[in-house]
Amino acid sequence: MLFPREMSEIELIVPSKDLLAVTKVLSSYGVFHQTDSNYPGVASGSANTWQETAGNYSALERRIQTVMQQLDIDEGRPPSKDYEAMVDLEKLRAAVEQIEAEVRSSTEELSEQRKRLEQLESIVRQLEPVEEVDIDISSLRDSRYMFSILGQMPTANLERMQTSLARVPHVFLTLRADPARPVVWLAGTKSNADILERAARSAYLDALSLPNDYQGTPGNILKSLRNTIESTRRRIKELQDALGRLGLERREQLRDLLWQTHTSRVLSDAIVRFGQLRHTYVVTGWVPSDSMEDLTRRLKQASKEILIEVLPTSRTGHNSSVPVALSNNKLLKPFQMLVNTYARPRYGELDPTILMAVTFPLLYGAMFGDIGQGLVLLIFGLLINAGKVMKSMQSLGLLIAYCGASATIFGFLYGSIFGFEGEHFTHAFGGELHPLWLSPLHDTLPVLGIAIDVGIVILLIAYLLAIFNQIRSREWAHLIFGHTGLVGFALYISFLGLLGMAVNALRLPIIPKIAVGIASIPLPWTILALIFGLGIMFSEVLINLYEGHRPVVEAHGVGGFIMYLVQAFMDLFETLISQLSNTLSFVRVGAFAVAHGGVSMAIFALAGEELGFKYWLTVLLGNIFIIGFEGLIVGIQTMRLNYYEFLGKFFKGGGTRFEPLSVAPTQEEA
Amino acid sequence: MAKSGVSGYAAISARVRAMYSSMLSPQDFVRLSDAPDVSSLISQLKQTAYGPYLDGLKEKDFTPQKLDLAIKGRLGDSYRSITQMAPEHARPLLKQLYRYFEIQNLKAILRAVVSDPTWEHVQDVLFPMREMTVLPAQAMLESGSVGAAIELLQNTPYYDTLSFAMKRYSAEQNLFPLEVALDLQYWRQLWSEAKKLSGQDGVQATKIIGSLMDVNNLMWVIRYKVYHGLSEEEIINYTLPFGYRVRDDDVRAVAAGADLPLVVGRVFPGIPDLNALLENPRQGLPQLEVILKRRLMQQCLSAFIGNPFHIGVPLAFLILSDLEVQDLTVLVEAKSAEMPAEEFRPFMLRSVEA
Repeated sequence: MLFPREMSEIELIVPSKDLLAVTKVLSSYGVFHQTDSNYPGVASGSANTWQETAGNYSALERRIQTVMQQLDIDEGRPPSKDYEAMVDLEKLRAAVEQIEAEVRSSTEELSEQRKRLEQLESIVRQLEPVEEVDIDISSLRDSRYMFSILGQMPTANLERMQTSLARVPHVFLTLRADPARPVVWLAGTKSNADILERAARSAYLDALSLPNDYQGTPGNILKSLRNTIESTRRRIKELQDALGRLGLERREQLRDLLWQTHTSRVLSDAIVRFGQLRHTYVVTGWVPSDSMEDLTRRLKQASKEILIEVLPTSRTGHNSSVPVALSNNKLLKPFQMLVNTYARPRYGELDPTILMAVTFPLLYGAMFGDIGQGLVLLIFGLLINAGKVMKSMQSLGLLIAYCGASATIFGFLYGSIFGFEGEHFTHAFGGELHPLWLSPLHDTLPVLGIAIDVGIVILLIAYLLAIFNQIRSREWAHLIFGHTGLVGFALYISFLGLLGMAVNALRLPIIPKIAVGIASIPLPWTILALIFGLGIMFSEVLINLYEGHRPVVEAHGVGGFIMYLVQAFMDLFETLISQLSNTLSFVRVGAFAVAHGGVSMAIFALAGEELGFKYWLTVLLGNIFIIGFEGLIVGIQTMRLNYYEFLGKFFKGGGTRFEPLSVAPTQEEA
Repeated sequence: MAKSGVSGYAAISARVRAMYSSMLSPQDFVRLSDAPDVSSLISQLKQTAYGPYLDGLKEKDFTPQKLDLAIKGRLGDSYRSITQMAPEHARPLLKQLYRYFEIQNLKAILRAVVSDPTWEHVQDVLFPMREMTVLPAQAMLESGSVGAAIELLQNTPYYDTLSFAMKRYSAEQNLFPLEVALDLQYWRQLWSEAKKLSGQDGVQATKIIGSLMDVNNLMWVIRYKVYHGLSEEEIINYTLPFGYRVRDDDVRAVAAGADLPLVVGRVFPGIPDLNALLENPRQGLPQLEVILKRRLMQQCLSAFIGNPFHIGVPLAFLILSDLEVQDLTVLVEAKSAEMPAEEFRPFMLRSVEA
């Protein structure tokens, strides 16, 4: 659980006769991550043939999907029954063509009817703006002496068009005013038709263009058109019903055909990437080591003569090409999703999911501690997880529930329920509610100090984990001299010692006890900070020396060595500023806990003293506001602390996703 | 209440002054125009404020197209930075001014839809608008037809204009009506935004935006007349009735066939040898455009004199930056084509005589 599953690299030599059986085992078991075996030295003789086969299955798969779409049939769940390794393409094609023929007559007419409907609606759209104009369209069109244009144009062009016709006798009327598209009528003598037409066109006057057989007033034409549209819609409905019935009849058969074709396509796609020798195929890939035995047994059953070579892969060192399969419990999926959003662990790197499962709810609960509001979040999260509400957020349901549970626990520790605590609880309910630990609102300074302490602990853990990761990846120089290596860690401890000394000397009201405790150890913290600071300042030089990189000092270009020194000092300065800001960043945990109580107080101030309807309505709305708004902000802050202050210290990520060959679509890990 | 005057413009004025100081000096332009080839031009340009935008380019990328795009990166950043800092009431005008490049991108995409090049080619000619664009450029290109591309612009300021013009495109199969409709919409909107401003902002915006429009409007009128041979009514419909110096009467006079040098001389007095310049309008027009742009440049420079707390200063700076980029484009093109200095210098807005 702390590390990705151990992987083994396998190389198979498969006799040609057993190719399909072996491929079927590899693709149906869902543990084999294929890599390309068509590397130089291995011929890919029949790759083209298989490519063509895969292309044919793929084309057929698309045809089936098209028919299913036309019949409104979904793909359904992957079937539980076992399909043949490779189904005869011609047999599948014949079955598909038969159904296509049945569907085609209806779909073609449906398409024609839809096109007709579109045309009719387009004419209606043109006529609607002039519906109230009581002029026979044909009389305008066929006029002997007058040229006229009826249509719509952009309002912005109205004035300009009239200007453009200032020297030509004409009539220009706005028949219907509209802020964007007024209906206008432009008329003049036939002898000026060219000028009028050019002016109208250049002013973007969109003239009404009706087929010649439309006669009468726009109102009459529209009436007839609407009747035709109605009958066309009825016909479309009949055709859709017929297709619906056909869909019901053919649903299972089409799904079956789809999965058969899909299986064959996946297998042929896989084979395309196999390398071919004279009578054998070379298959390479990755398998989780714990599944290796079972897979080997199945492969041996499929082919007696198969040769299997297994190369176990060490988890240490650089293994960027090894796919990463995470093996976390279902209950940890929300945290794995958070980690993957940041980055996917590399092979051999510590998977921080379990750590996030501790720090995320802990920090959230500490900032949002309230029994009532926590329980609301808990129930809400469980409902989301069960898909009862907000289905689109289902993957976040458990995370919300965990945060709610943690907030409830902290609610007991803080003695707060729906914002009621102390005298407000007594005023409203009569009894007493005491915090089991402390009340952020009354013990503000200790809460802030504890928050910094929690931050220090988290940062120390992060430094130790970074050191652990560097040991595992054998980055010895960075382990010793790096910013998150031993020198960086020692500098942080020295820095805490100095911080503790400063807190004591200045008698600051906020006391981070861990820093003060470190300061009480009789060590020369100032000298140590100076030594380790110099170590960080010259870490690049020391790393170069250790790893044998030359030049040891990158002091070329403008400024030379002086510029290098300035840069090295700025590096140290930035490291110290980061350590200070990272540590103080956790003050927000305490600050939000205090603010949470403060917002509740503000709501009670608005609610007033009298326990009437107004009081309870205000408390209800206030709690909804706190849960929705503050809950979200606290979530964002928690994520920020976890990502930047915690994961950022030790977790690099960048691993390759484990994508096993599978006939059924694989589900996302998170 | 909208902040204006000193309170609204203090920060942006300081910012513009700082950016103004990083513009290329006349000496810079002399040096750049003396560069023997495009590689030395770029290595000299890298020492200026354009350096960060050119650093990523390798020698093989020194094509006019790629260099132009990189140089325009700075102009885009200037627009974004100034628009963000501008007082709220002035932002719509600056945003509309910036939309000019979006319109050019939109035209380029529509042309690409017709001529069918790949997305890789098209993105090389699009102005780097970054997040300040509403155009789904790649999807439009991949839509396969002008009609489908325009449908993707629903809920953008361009949809209504283009859907009106689309009917003409369908009938004529020519992008001209679409492009003219876009231009007219852009300039009308820009003028309307300038007119919304009051006080000193209004005066300055009308002066600078109006002057910018004058150059465009006058060049349109003459081009439509000389190159396209359009009729009077078409020219009037394709031009604008407003500006700072150019009046509707001037536009109508040119459209109706009045003597060109007479009208241009009336609007822009003091242009030497105007009759000779426009004796053959097809040859003289590019030079007239350069002269008018130089006047625009002077107009913009005058905005930096006196009270700096108004919209005129950022507007003038942005237009000057654009003109600077135009000069650099001339240099890049000229050096790439190995053109002698006497051939490209007349087309530069800055004087580059050594």
